[in-house]
Amino acid sequence: MSDIALARSHSWTAARFRRVLPKVLATAAALVLALIWLGPVVLIAITSVKSNQDFLSGPFSLPTALTWAPYQAVWNGLGFGTLMANSLLYATTGSALAVLLALVPAFALSRFDLPGKRLVFGLLLTGMMLPQQTVLIPLYDLLRTLSLLDTKIGLIIVHGVYGMPGQILILRGFMTTIPREVEKAAEIEGATDFQIFWKVILPLSLPGIVVGFTLNFIAIWKEFVFGLVFLNSEANFPVTVGMLKLNSDRYMSVFNLPAAGLVISQIPIIILFILAYRRISSGNFVGAVKG
Amino acid sequence: MAQVSLINVEKHYGRHTVIPDLSLEIEDGEFTVLVGPSGCGKSTTLQMIAGLETISNGTLLIGGRDVTELPPKSRDIAMVFQSYALFPHLSVHDNIAFGMKIRRTARDDIKEQVDSVAGRLRIEPYLDRLPKELSGGQRQRVALARALVRRPGVFLMDEPLSNLDAKLRVEARSFLSKMHRELQTTTIYVTHDQSEAMTMGTKIVIMNEGKIQQVAPPLEVYNRPANRFVAGFIGSPAMNFLELEVGEEALLDEAAGIAIQLPDRSRATLQPYRRRKVVLGIRPEGLRPVGLADSSPVSGANFTVEVVQHLGHETLLDAVAGPHRIIARVPPTDASAVGERRTFAFDMAAAHLFDAETGANLAQSG
Repeated sequence: MSDIALARSHSWTAARFRRVLPKVLATAAALVLALIWLGPVVLIAITSVKSNQDFLSGPFSLPTALTWAPYQAVWNGLGFGTLMANSLLYATTGSALAVLLALVPAFALSRFDLPGKRLVFGLLLTGMMLPQQTVLIPLYDLLRTLSLLDTKIGLIIVHGVYGMPGQILILRGFMTTIPREVEKAAEIEGATDFQIFWKVILPLSLPGIVVGFTLNFIAIWKEFVFGLVFLNSEANFPVTVGMLKLNSDRYMSVFNLPAAGLVISQIPIIILFILAYRRISSGNFVGAVKG
Repeated sequence: MAQVSLINVEKHYGRHTVIPDLSLEIEDGEFTVLVGPSGCGKSTTLQMIAGLETISNGTLLIGGRDVTELPPKSRDIAMVFQSYALFPHLSVHDNIAFGMKIRRTARDDIKEQVDSVAGRLRIEPYLDRLPKELSGGQRQRVALARALVRRPGVFLMDEPLSNLDAKLRVEARSFLSKMHRELQTTTIYVTHDQSEAMTMGTKIVIMNEGKIQQVAPPLEVYNRPANRFVAGFIGSPAMNFLELEVGEEALLDEAAGIAIQLPDRSRATLQPYRRRKVVLGIRPEGLRPVGLADSSPVSGANFTVEVVQHLGHETLLDAVAGPHRIIARVPPTDASAVGERRTFAFDMAAAHLFDAETGANLAQSG
């Protein structure tokens, strides 16, 4: 190869390298982050299908023999069926209650020029920023006064009300994207305010309701503090509180059971997220008014 | 009967006044077009008639009834919006039937009326579709169907054609005009497009800054504009305006070399304006470039052609003299060239004179 051709070849390689290098670095960084996120998840999943001896002899190695015994032990030993059923009850009804309570305020905040609107917004946001611990004592007191301590309905009400501000913000955001002319058209057609809300706004807010419900469901499912403080009876425990047993002395050196418990407890969330993923990530809906 | 009367209607938003004092009579069966630039108050006026905006002061009568405080559903009106405002989650059938279901009309009646109006507007094949599955023109017809099925005393239309492409818009204009001729329902139509106003309305209401500038049939507005604003707004290309000084017998701008002879009838009108400025308004078709063979026009001036636009059926000449710019509409065979200095004859019989300060048409203000 001549000197000129060689020089050209070298400069071409250098230019290509400079072009490709940022992409390689970004991909490598993303892989590292993915490993950091997924690593513990994969480790837990692997641990959950190992015998405890298998784990102790090699915590990070693949199982020498797959076993489902940890799942059986956790399900039967901890009454996982009841725990999961309770969590499902709290997450479903608590989310539904939060959404229901939030619908009308969200509509009002999205549509009407109310006096003190900014103050209401500020209060909502401030409330959401306060940690759970700040409301534990007053809520405990309130539930005790209403004889709702250690009751399923009490925890459901707490979750519903606690989740309401977040739902108002999510739903309000969706409702503001509904074109005003659609409501005006309904008004011209003779619909009352309630009919406009029920027949027009609510159906068009369905994507927002699904997103809000899903996010709230996940939050309640993962929630631990309220369940721990407001409930005493094992029959009422959600899965997060019920799994505390696996932290006791009895299970000090047992690792595969907590792993199996964690995997079981996350299955409903994973299913829900897969089903609702597109709605959550898009955040939009086809309004179908203009063009 | 569906006469619409606005009597001293005002609209304020806090301290901001959008409509200071508007009075307007729309006769039963008229197709009245409210036209004006953006922000002139035409849509606000329509919304007040519909009941979607409150009237701050004044009275609104529809069919002789005072409906000022009544909600939209009690005003016997139907409205077509600019964006059609179809309910995106409902089928075409349910969109059209929405109002009837609210009013608890019997199912059989709903079906009969929906089918009838869908047939009339040729949208029966789309009754089961959602709005997002329709084209713009189809959605517009669904919006019309929803209004038609109410059989209102008054149709209100807020720029319903502005979302259509040019070809569809022309078709839709003639469709709406035909529909009005058949139904004879009072129609109030809002548009910012002056050519739409001219072609569709039996009466045009030109608005600017919340005030009515002129109310008249299209040709009267075109030929006898009440003021400079109306003259400049109606007509495309717009009317030419030249601010000139009133001389003994001519309108002058000596610096630009312009001296346009005044006809006898105008000299008396302009007596109070001697040595003051007035605005001469003349439409593009009122200007004629004079050939070498023609004798010098009595009312003419020399301009330099800057732009020649060949449109096929006509040619537009953009010409300038000093600070004055004119557009002349000439036959397609005109041979004017860019840079050429031409004499343009002014058809003073078709010209207008406006007060330079108030803009009022001097012929109409006496």
